[in-house]
Amino acid sequence: MSQRPTDLSAGERFYLREAIKGMGVLAKHFWRNLFGFRDPNPEIMARQGPGVNMVSTINYPDERKAYPAGYRGMHRLVPRVDGKPRCVACYMCATACPAQCIYIEAGEYSDQAIEKYPVRFEIDELRCIVCGFCVEACPKDAIRMDTGSHAPAVLSRPLAVFDKEALLKGPAVEHPSDVLTYRLPIRK
Amino acid sequence: MTTPAARLASEDFGPRVEPKPQYGRWLAGSIVGWAAFVAFLLFMSWVLLEIGRLIPAPFGSIVALILILVMITATLLTMADRKWSALMQDRVGPNRARLPIPGLSDKPLKGLPHIVADVLKMLFKEDFIPEGAMSDRFLFNLAPMLAFAPAFMLFAVVPVSPELQVARVDWGILYVFALASIAVFGTALAGWTSNNKLALMGGLRASAQLVSYEVTLGLTLVGAFIAFGTLRLDFMAELQGMAVQSLRSASALNISYDQSLLFGWLPAWGLVYQPVGLILFLVAAQAEIKRAPFDTPEGESEIIGYFLEYSGLKSGLFLIAEYAETVVVAGIVTAIFLGAYHIPWFEPAIVRAFGMGVLSVLQVFAFIVKMLLIIWIMFLARWAFPRFRYDQIMRLGWKMMLPISLLNVMVTAFVYLWAGREGIAWAGIVEWIAILFFIGLSQQKEQAHVPAAH
Repeated sequence: MSQRPTDLSAGERFYLREAIKGMGVLAKHFWRNLFGFRDPNPEIMARQGPGVNMVSTINYPDERKAYPAGYRGMHRLVPRVDGKPRCVACYMCATACPAQCIYIEAGEYSDQAIEKYPVRFEIDELRCIVCGFCVEACPKDAIRMDTGSHAPAVLSRPLAVFDKEALLKGPAVEHPSDVLTYRLPIRK
Repeated sequence: MTTPAARLASEDFGPRVEPKPQYGRWLAGSIVGWAAFVAFLLFMSWVLLEIGRLIPAPFGSIVALILILVMITATLLTMADRKWSALMQDRVGPNRARLPIPGLSDKPLKGLPHIVADVLKMLFKEDFIPEGAMSDRFLFNLAPMLAFAPAFMLFAVVPVSPELQVARVDWGILYVFALASIAVFGTALAGWTSNNKLALMGGLRASAQLVSYEVTLGLTLVGAFIAFGTLRLDFMAELQGMAVQSLRSASALNISYDQSLLFGWLPAWGLVYQPVGLILFLVAAQAEIKRAPFDTPEGESEIIGYFLEYSGLKSGLFLIAEYAETVVVAGIVTAIFLGAYHIPWFEPAIVRAFGMGVLSVLQVFAFIVKMLLIIWIMFLARWAFPRFRYDQIMRLGWKMMLPISLLNVMVTAFVYLWAGREGIAWAGIVEWIAILFFIGLSQQKEQAHVPAAH
């Protein structure tokens, strides 16, 4: 039984021409990549422009691809404009959490319209299953998962427990309704 | 920010800064890099010449060519193979090894430190000898040497410059064929003494392939013997350009045009006389040094070859022998087909302008550049083609290349008897036009079939 493909033309069967064509393709890539400029843009499809080579590698630890918008990443406690957390220690996130990774200890303000604040707010990132229920449950928009990063690798389990100071970061958020709740001083 | 993990996490948040192309730095780096490369080659050419002059006759060339030129090129080729293949396949290639030298400890240096890493890895690996091979330990150890030594000895007859050549012997090209067939012993012995069925099969494949292609390898060069009328590689090299004596007399007579040019404009290189011979020789040489697409003897990733049971530096000897053979074959192709050390058109002008000393450095430089070009083409073939099946290799060798090379010998001989050397040149030009026309015509036809848009 002949194993020769039957749909080849005589020129293709002669092989030399096809061989030279194949080597030509490689040579084109070689010279373009040799002389081409290496574009470090993590968006590979955006690597265009004069003299940019065809290498589509991202040198991972040195270059990182951004997570897509809407990626549920690390938690953060959203600060107010005065730098304090928006959290009012209502325990709704801790109640909603299926992994029970949120630990809150509530404290009281004596002189503000907002009466409660978290004395301790800790999230165990090893227990967290990144479901986002805490974000959904929060009535004050005080916890978000918009940091665009994942939980970092740690060398021991206690280091994966993030406390209030570590979680409180990112741009401050203010809603129009906030004025009624904390801006106005208590009338005496 | 109490824990290290928290500190790390806090660094991730914030506005992203997109990296921008630094064209200026790239341009400066490219220019400096290429200038450094050319300067290095020129410096090495001068060093090789000086070594050849300082040390008494045969030993100077032995040190300069075999220990320095072939050894360093083969070592660098182990890295160039990986880096060039990366460039051809749109990859980055090895770039993680670092030299623990202050100032260089965070620079990839184009992957060059990987050579050191590879060598150290092979040096410190266990030198394992399989149980069955213990009785034939001498032969087991002899095999890598038999594979390695001929590759280096082959370079003895290659003329790198009029001054640099180890042995100027009447039987130059016959010596090449004789030593090329010694390499078969290395592979066959390695397969046999390993006491391993797979290695034995690999050794059998290797010896069958090498013996088959030696026939073609020899016959392809017969056309070149006829065209040049000699077996000596140094005479062949001299015939492809102006000899030293005629260059001296030309500069004495203030002649600055190259008198060796065919028809007054074409360099009288071997590839003009023997286009078919050049192509067949390159293919047969690729099979002879067992590189892809003819690497069924090794087949390191799946079918496993004759050096299966070798480890450490013995395995390294087989690997480096392959690269050394590549260098030697490229040297022979350069010497016979690419005008050896000759610089076409400009040699008398260079002698008039700068003198013989500069010309001899430039000639070594030209030889190395041509050799690197041939090596590059062989690597291009190595990465372009999938491995041939064993029966395909045999069919290509015996049923296609052998008849074509025999035909080439006959045509060359008839043309030589009928019209002399000029006639062979004319026949070669006609063959080149036919080959290029064949390639160009069939590509045009193919473009017509491509649909306009999807």
